[in-house]
Amino acid sequence: MKEFKVRKGLLASLFVTAGILAGCGGGGEEASQSEGEKVTVDVFQFKVEFKDQFEDVVELYEKENPDVNIDITTVGGGEDYGAALRSRFASGNEPAIFNIGGPQDVADWKDKLSNLSDTAAAEAALDGTLDGVTVEENVLGLPYNQEGYGFVYNTRLFEEAGIDPVSITDFASLEEAVKTLDSKKEELGLDAVFALPAKEAWVTGLHLSNTFLAPEFNHNVLDTFAADKVEFKYGDAFKKILDLQNDYSVQPTVSLDYSQQVEELFSLERVAIIQQGNWVYGSIAGIDQELADSGVGMMPIPVEGYEEGGLPVGVPMYWGVNSAKDEEVVQASKDFLDWLYTSDAGKKAVVEDFKFIPAYEGYDTSKITDPMSKAIYDASEAGNTIGWVFMGYPTGWGEGEVGASIQKYLSDEASWEEVIDSAKQAWEKNRSN
Amino acid sequence: MRTKSYSYWLFLAPVLIALTLVVVVPMLLGVYYSFTSWNGIVTGNFVGFENYTNAFKDERFMDALWFTVKFSVVSVIMINVIGLSLALLVTSHVKSSKLLRTVFFMPNLIGGLILGFIWQFIFIKVFASVGQIIGMESLQGWLSTTNTGFWGLTILMSWQMAGYIMVIYIAYLEGMPKELLEASEIDGASSTQRFRFIVFPLVAPAFTVSMFLTLSNTFKLYDQNLSLTGGGPYNSTEMVAMEIFQTAFTQNVFAYAQAKAVIFFVIVALVALVQVYVNKRREVEM
Repeated sequence: MKEFKVRKGLLASLFVTAGILAGCGGGGEEASQSEGEKVTVDVFQFKVEFKDQFEDVVELYEKENPDVNIDITTVGGGEDYGAALRSRFASGNEPAIFNIGGPQDVADWKDKLSNLSDTAAAEAALDGTLDGVTVEENVLGLPYNQEGYGFVYNTRLFEEAGIDPVSITDFASLEEAVKTLDSKKEELGLDAVFALPAKEAWVTGLHLSNTFLAPEFNHNVLDTFAADKVEFKYGDAFKKILDLQNDYSVQPTVSLDYSQQVEELFSLERVAIIQQGNWVYGSIAGIDQELADSGVGMMPIPVEGYEEGGLPVGVPMYWGVNSAKDEEVVQASKDFLDWLYTSDAGKKAVVEDFKFIPAYEGYDTSKITDPMSKAIYDASEAGNTIGWVFMGYPTGWGEGEVGASIQKYLSDEASWEEVIDSAKQAWEKNRSN
Repeated sequence: MRTKSYSYWLFLAPVLIALTLVVVVPMLLGVYYSFTSWNGIVTGNFVGFENYTNAFKDERFMDALWFTVKFSVVSVIMINVIGLSLALLVTSHVKSSKLLRTVFFMPNLIGGLILGFIWQFIFIKVFASVGQIIGMESLQGWLSTTNTGFWGLTILMSWQMAGYIMVIYIAYLEGMPKELLEASEIDGASSTQRFRFIVFPLVAPAFTVSMFLTLSNTFKLYDQNLSLTGGGPYNSTEMVAMEIFQTAFTQNVFAYAQAKAVIFFVIVALVALVQVYVNKRREVEM
């Protein structure tokens, strides 16, 4: 009897142990590549928002090119794309096309990236959009799209207050307009003129600071990435804009977040101006479609002492092609990206389905429906832009250092000099490591 | 002894293997990594105690540690006082005490992240509106200063955990021999005396358990911290767990974060062991 019990126990524990080990095992099988002469291109991409539309477009491409098979994996949103990509490479199951962000990514993945200079898409890319991914004349990535930010304003409120947005060309006229709006707060039904979300360190520490640091680094993200120190040449102009936004904002600003700023205050027309980018279109449209389509505009953040009329426009993400893949896979990947950004069908999808602001020449801008994206594409084609250099900031510097000390400044816990000094020190310390 | 036979180890094996694989091995690896310049991709060089000495000189880490200690002390007291009071309330002859038990326990069933967002709404919106109506200036702008952030966190934590701790106290209160209380009543002890000299010593084991749970929970708090204040303003309400996460995943210095995590582990383990030891000595044997 005792014997029997022991056996039962042995059996039970064996099962459990086997279960645990099996859980760690599996998942190592490779997808078979024996589908005739088909070339398979694995795409590992980041943008969750356009996953469905992207898959539809890929299906169209596969129909036109029956010998190419494209597999898409999307990891993004709340997930950590960088970590997922690393583990994908570590497992040996390397994708053919993947995404890279700023110069840090380029430096990390340099050995794995093919030169894309010979593609038609690289040819058509707008001036400056390839800066961040060009290493020794080699183009290592192709831009996804463009995004831009500035002061998003409510056109109806401006009209009722008798302000012509076109007349706002520098800091003085902006201040004038803000004061006019503030004096008519009651009639216009406003809580305040601005909503400054200082809680979101990326709004102040990355975007706002970028506007004033880009001129210092020639609008070039690689120069920023290589810089040993930061001067804050336009630090005073920075302070003025920050003070203006804070003084005329809904209070308290340090606990004001993105959704309060965009959805609750701006979309319900309780503030007239917010510092945001074209990505707020969806949020506003979710609350007031009409306002999003025809009631908003975007104007530049004036940098006093520098050109005061440029919109900060940049490329958030790039496509890279894995150079470790076979020649034919690399070629098929390039062909696909070319088709996506330079063929008529591709162009149409990029603008109408993805709702992207194209980073390439030769698009029909009349198809861009939302007014903010339109302003950005126009500024970009005219070359009237400020570069995005914040992707070249030291890791964690923008949000963790500048954003946090701006909160300190707004809570009267630090002076502006302290903000600038600690930011300078943190930059140098990080670069000297 | 018979328990040391084959079958003993056989039954223990699954647990031992699982524990080794998911706790012991990662922990040893973690300690090892904390002595290197690991960046999340490659292990890097051996750097000795550099990460540790840097951590002790790191102002932000020390601030977070100090904030965590303050938060834990205040929360542990508040949770236990409220938990015990609730337990006394629902074990006395109150009508609908069964329903009340459920109600008090409910907050514990909601996840920490969601709770954080709910309370964020309460602190920012509801407090401001109520403050406006009754004219109390101090209810405006909650969570926008370090102080209100601190009290916001302790209120949230007490509200969530008091019900859970209450259940533990209830178990001990109900297990208490009634004859002792009756005897004291006949001897003429007042209700405060009864509580002080009879109930209190007898629920001492409950204190050991409750203090241990609240202490370790408040020290390791992450999700409520993330969703309620997110460390803001200016990282002044950032607790250690969050600071370590930031170091690893936004600044990408993994080995350094690992060293901080080891320090944190040692502190939590020490505090918890000392607390259990001290509490145990105060327990009375029945």
